[in-house]
Amino acid sequence: MHRPNYLAVFWMFARNSLIRDMTFRTNYIIEVVFGLCWALMNLGFYTLVYRLMYADGDGAADIAGWSQYQFFVFIATTILVNSFVEGFFMANAEELSELTRTGGLDFALLKPIDTQFLVSLQRINWSAIPKLLLALALLAYSIPRIEGLTLHPIQFILYPLYVVMGTLILYSVMIGLAATSIWLGRNQSLYDFWFYITNFSRYPMEIYEGSFGSPLRFVFTYLIPILVVINVPAATLAKPLAETNWPLAGFAVVATVGSLAISRWIFQRALMSYRSASS
Amino acid sequence: MLARAQIWWTIFTMCVAERLAYRGDFVLGTTMRFLPMITQIFLWTAVFASSSNGKLVGFTRNDIIAYYLLTMVARAFSSMPGLASGIARQIRDGEIKKFLIQPIDLIGFSLLARMGHKLVYYGVAIGPFALVFYLCRGFFPGWPPAEYLAAFLLSLVLSFLLGFFLEASLGLAGFWTLEISSLLFVYMLFNFFFSGHMFPLEILPEPWRTWVAWMPLKYLAYFPAAVFLQKIPADQLWQEVGVLVAWTAFFFFLSRRLMHAGFRRYSGYGG
Amino acid sequence: MSVIEIRGLRKSYRVYQKKEGLLASFSGLFHREYREVNAVKGIDLTVEKGEFVAFLGPNGAGKTTTLKLLSGVITPTSGEARVLGYVPWERDNDYRRRFALVMGQKNQLWWDLPAQESFQLHQKIYRIDPAAFKQTKDELVDLLGVGKLLGQPVRELSLGERMKMELIAALLHSPEVLFLDEPTIGLDVVAQHNIQKFLKHYQQVRGITILLTSHYMKDIAALCKRVVIIAGGEIVYDGSLEGVIDRFSDYKILTVDFADDRMPSDLARFGEIREIAPPRAKIEVERSQIANVLTNVLANYSILDVSVEDPPLEEVIASLFALTEQQQNESKESNIASAAANVAAAGKN
Repeated sequence: MHRPNYLAVFWMFARNSLIRDMTFRTNYIIEVVFGLCWALMNLGFYTLVYRLMYADGDGAADIAGWSQYQFFVFIATTILVNSFVEGFFMANAEELSELTRTGGLDFALLKPIDTQFLVSLQRINWSAIPKLLLALALLAYSIPRIEGLTLHPIQFILYPLYVVMGTLILYSVMIGLAATSIWLGRNQSLYDFWFYITNFSRYPMEIYEGSFGSPLRFVFTYLIPILVVINVPAATLAKPLAETNWPLAGFAVVATVGSLAISRWIFQRALMSYRSASS
Repeated sequence: MLARAQIWWTIFTMCVAERLAYRGDFVLGTTMRFLPMITQIFLWTAVFASSSNGKLVGFTRNDIIAYYLLTMVARAFSSMPGLASGIARQIRDGEIKKFLIQPIDLIGFSLLARMGHKLVYYGVAIGPFALVFYLCRGFFPGWPPAEYLAAFLLSLVLSFLLGFFLEASLGLAGFWTLEISSLLFVYMLFNFFFSGHMFPLEILPEPWRTWVAWMPLKYLAYFPAAVFLQKIPADQLWQEVGVLVAWTAFFFFLSRRLMHAGFRRYSGYGG
Repeated sequence: MSVIEIRGLRKSYRVYQKKEGLLASFSGLFHREYREVNAVKGIDLTVEKGEFVAFLGPNGAGKTTTLKLLSGVITPTSGEARVLGYVPWERDNDYRRRFALVMGQKNQLWWDLPAQESFQLHQKIYRIDPAAFKQTKDELVDLLGVGKLLGQPVRELSLGERMKMELIAALLHSPEVLFLDEPTIGLDVVAQHNIQKFLKHYQQVRGITILLTSHYMKDIAALCKRVVIIAGGEIVYDGSLEGVIDRFSDYKILTVDFADDRMPSDLARFGEIREIAPPRAKIEVERSQIANVLTNVLANYSILDVSVEDPPLEEVIASLFALTEQQQNESKESNIASAAANVAAAGKN
C-alpha cells in the first residue's frame, strides 16, 4: 500500500506527454521529419562510402568485417536503440540541469516516489516512434540481403533483449552525466558530452585495433561499456551465431546491471550534494 | 570614439568573464571535442583497408584524416553554438528591448560576445589542438606553400564572419516567426551534411557536388581544409576566396537589413 | 506531542566567489574561492497541531531555507528537527505523503497541460484513493472557484489562477502540515484576498498546521495569530502579532485636531513631528511620556479631537529589519577589524 504504483505513474507520464505532444502538433511533426532525415542522411553517407569501396575495382567492400547490409543492420540497431533512449530518457536528462538551475528539482524531491524514477521518465517523447519504425523497416530490408546468413530463431529472441540492455547502458551514461550537472552547477554542453561519448558506440568495435585501438576497445567495452550497446545486438542479428561471441554476450548482461548500479550511485551522490549545497 | 571603445571593451570582458565562470563545462567540453576524431581515424583506416589502391576520390587515408582535423579547426572558427537560438529567444522574451535604448546594436553586441567566447575558447583549446596536431603530424602531407597558407588563414577569419552573420540572419528571422527552431534544425542538418563536416565533399555524386559547390555552407568547414591540403587548383584559389568574401558581405548586409526591419516591425507593435 | 520541533537547526553552504576583471576570470579557471553563507544559524522552534504560524523576515533571512529544511528538500549542516515525528531529511515516503510545500515563485504543474492532468498524476504518485481524490478535488475546486479553468493549459492561466491550481495540487493528498512560501507574491489585491480567505477557511475546517512566509503584512494579519520573525538566520521574535509592536516600538502616534487654524509652533518639544496638515498634527511620542504630553497638550491648547495609536505594523517591522541588518553589518565589520588586529599582532610577534 505504501509503495507507489510505478507502472500507473509511468502510464500517466506517457499519457500526459502524448496530450502535450498533440497540443504542439506542428512541433511534433517537425521533430519526426527531421529525426528521420537525420537517420537517412547517416544512411546515405555509408551508402556513398560503400559505393566508393565497390567502385575501386576489386569488388570487395567491407568495413572491419561488416558487409554493406550487415552494416545496415548495425545502423538500424543504432537508430533503434537511439529511438528508445530519445523516447524515454533524452528530454528528461536535458531537463535535469534545467530543474537544478530553476529549483524545480525541489518539487521532485518532495514526492513520495523514487526521485530518479521521477526525473528520468517524466517526459516521454512520442516523436521517437517513427524512428523506431524506420529502424524496423531497415532491418527487414537488410537482413534478407546479407549473403550466406541463416538466422536461428534464438537470434530473434536475443536481439530485442540486447537492444533493451543497450538502451539501459546508454541511459546509465546519460543520467550519470546529467547528475554531474548538479555538481557543476550548470552544464550547457551536457548534450555534447553525451554525443561525444556515445559517438564511440556508433561504429563496429572491430575497427578499434592496433596498439592504440585495442586498449581503447578494452576501455569502452569493459570500463565504460558503450561499445556493447550497439555491437552486441547488431552482431546477434547480422552475423551467424558463433560460440566465440558468448563471452561478450554474457558480459553485456553484467555491464547492464553494473552501469545501472553505478549511475544510481552517482545520482544519489549528486542529490546529496544538491541538498547540502543549496539554500 | 574612446567612450564607445570603452563600452565595447567592457562588454567584451564581461562576456569573457561569464564564459569562464563555468569551468567544469569548459575544460571538459574542449577535451571532448577531439573524441569523434579518434573514431574517424579508425573508421577510415577500416574503409581503406578494403580498398585495393589506397585511394578514394583522390584522397588517401592520411588525406582524409588530415582533412577531418583541419575541418575541426575551421569549425572552431565558423560554428556558432546557440547564436541563432539565443537571438530568437531574446526576440521572443522581449529582451532585445534593451538594444533599443542602449548605445550598441544587437548584432554588434552579439559579435563582441561571440568574439569573447571564441577567444577564451582558443585560449584553452590551443593546448589540446596543438597536442592533437602534433600527435597526428604523420597524417599531413606537410606545410602548404605560402600562398595557400595565407589563403587558409584568411579563409578561417572569413569563415568566422560568414558563420556569424549567417546564423545571426537565421536568428533574426525570429522577428517574423515565433518558432524558428525548425528552421535551425534544417540549417543544422544541411550544415552537417553539406559543409564538409561529415566527409570531404568530393565523395558526393553529381549533381549534388555542383550544387554544393555554389552554396555558402562549404566555406564553413570544407574550404579551409581543402585549401590547406591544396585540393583547390591554384588558378581557382583566389577566385574561391573572392566568392567567400562575397557570401560574407551578403550575409553581413542581410543581417543588418533584417535587424533594422525587425526592430521597425517590433516597435510598430509597441512591444 | 508537537507537530514541529526544531532544535539548533543550522544550514550553511558555499558559493563561488566571482572576481571582477579579465585576468581574475582566467585564474578562476584553476583556482576558486568560496564564500561560506550561513543561511540559518541555529533555530529553535516548536509548533503545535493546528497552529497557523507566519515567518517574517527580510529577503535572505533564511525563511525559505527553513521551509526547505522542514520539507526535507535540503539537508541541514547541523541540528535536529521533527515534523509529525519524522526527521524531514530522511525523506520517508510516509512523511512525504503527509505534508505539502507550495512555493509562490515556482510551479510544479505541467506548464503545457490543463491542471486536471497534473492532478491525476498526483493521484497516482501519492496513491490517493480514487473516490477520496474525486471528493477532495471537487471540494477544493469548488472552494477556490476554478471549475471552469480545469481544462485550460496552465500556461494560459493568470498568476492568481495558477496559484489556486498549485494550492489544489498541494492539498489533494490532504496533508496534515502545509508549508507556504510566499503564496501571494505578485498577485493583485483581489487574488490575494481570495487566497487568504481560502487558506483561513481550509485551515479552520481541517485543523491542519500551516507555516507561511510572506512579504505582505496583510496576509499575516489576516491569517496568523503567531508570528516568528527571522533575521540573519536567527529567530529574533516569536509571539503574537500585537506583541511585535509592544516589543519593538517605543513610541506611539499622537494625533491632535486643533480648534482653530492657528497651529502652535512649538509642537516639536513633545516629540518628532510626523505630519502637519492644519488643523491636524501627528507626533511621535515616547511611550513613557504619553500621559505627560497628553495632559500638557490638553491644558495648553484648545483641542477638537485627540487620539493615541500604535505605529503601523509595517513600519515597526521595516525598522526592525533595518536595525538587525545594521547590527549584522556592524558585527561583520567588527569581525574584520578584530581579524585585522590579530594579523597585526601576529606580525609583531
